[in-house]
Amino acid sequence: MKIPVRLVVIALIAASLLSVFALQTSYANTLSDDQKSRIQANCLSIKGSLNQLHASDALLRVNRGQIYESMGTKLMNSFNSRLNNNGLDNKGLVSVTNAYQAALTTFRADYQLYEQQLSTTINIDCSKEPAAFHSALEDARTKRLKVHDDVLRLNKYIDDYRSAVNDFMLNFQRVTGSN
Amino acid sequence: MTDDPTPTSEVQLSFLDKHRFLLLIMGTILVAMVLVSLSVAMYKISGASQLDLSRPGYQSVSDKVNRTDPITDYSSFGPVNKTTVNDFMKLYDKQSANAKAVDAFNGDPLNPDVLDFSNPTVTVE
Repeated sequence: MKIPVRLVVIALIAASLLSVFALQTSYANTLSDDQKSRIQANCLSIKGSLNQLHASDALLRVNRGQIYESMGTKLMNSFNSRLNNNGLDNKGLVSVTNAYQAALTTFRADYQLYEQQLSTTINIDCSKEPAAFHSALEDARTKRLKVHDDVLRLNKYIDDYRSAVNDFMLNFQRVTGSN
Repeated sequence: MTDDPTPTSEVQLSFLDKHRFLLLIMGTILVAMVLVSLSVAMYKISGASQLDLSRPGYQSVSDKVNRTDPITDYSSFGPVNKTTVNDFMKLYDKQSANAKAVDAFNGDPLNPDVLDFSNPTVTVE
């Protein structure tokens, strides 16, 4: 019984060592020597571009985030409450609002991950560690694309809410008989 | 009768009594350090630090922050009729246009091509 356990432990250690080695090799493989030398040569200008992007994205997060927050709290929630206070059915609108709030939470979390990754990338010395820098940059790139997807999802829910208000209006007119 | 001088009794002070003031100062500093560490950790973990554009490195954009909220509040109280719903729709359309005016985080500025270190052998012209 002892031998298989030892074997399992050895196999696990070997597997983890191999995966680390494979990961490092994959970093090296995705980056050609020419790319490495370009990163090292343009390290300062790349860092400058990343710093500019870091600042402009932070501004975008603050300004866009404020608008997205207000759309949810000042318009959607308020209108839902007004319907509720008047004893009207607002289930469809509440459902869209909840989906919007969930998307907003995801946007906040994804931006946080992206910003942390971009900061990590900026802190890597690209003149000394071009492979690690490239890998971190690719990760930040993926995370930024995810933030953009979140923005598109938020925009979609904004449109969905508008459609839900239209549906409510049609239903309301039909029930009350007003035109 | 002889007047014996009153014997001077030396009170044995404990370590705590001897260094009471010093310990008070040290304790105060320790509590302050713990509280500051906690607040800094919360500031970082909550993501508030990422919205703080007064940090170093953000001076170039800190004056471009919208100080006033462009979205007007809609009252939760009041009647619901065709006019009030239409008013809401007008307000909502205006604000949603504002929200969607910028395609935030679009593009691919972290692309190696953009950052000028792409592999020339795989670059598609």
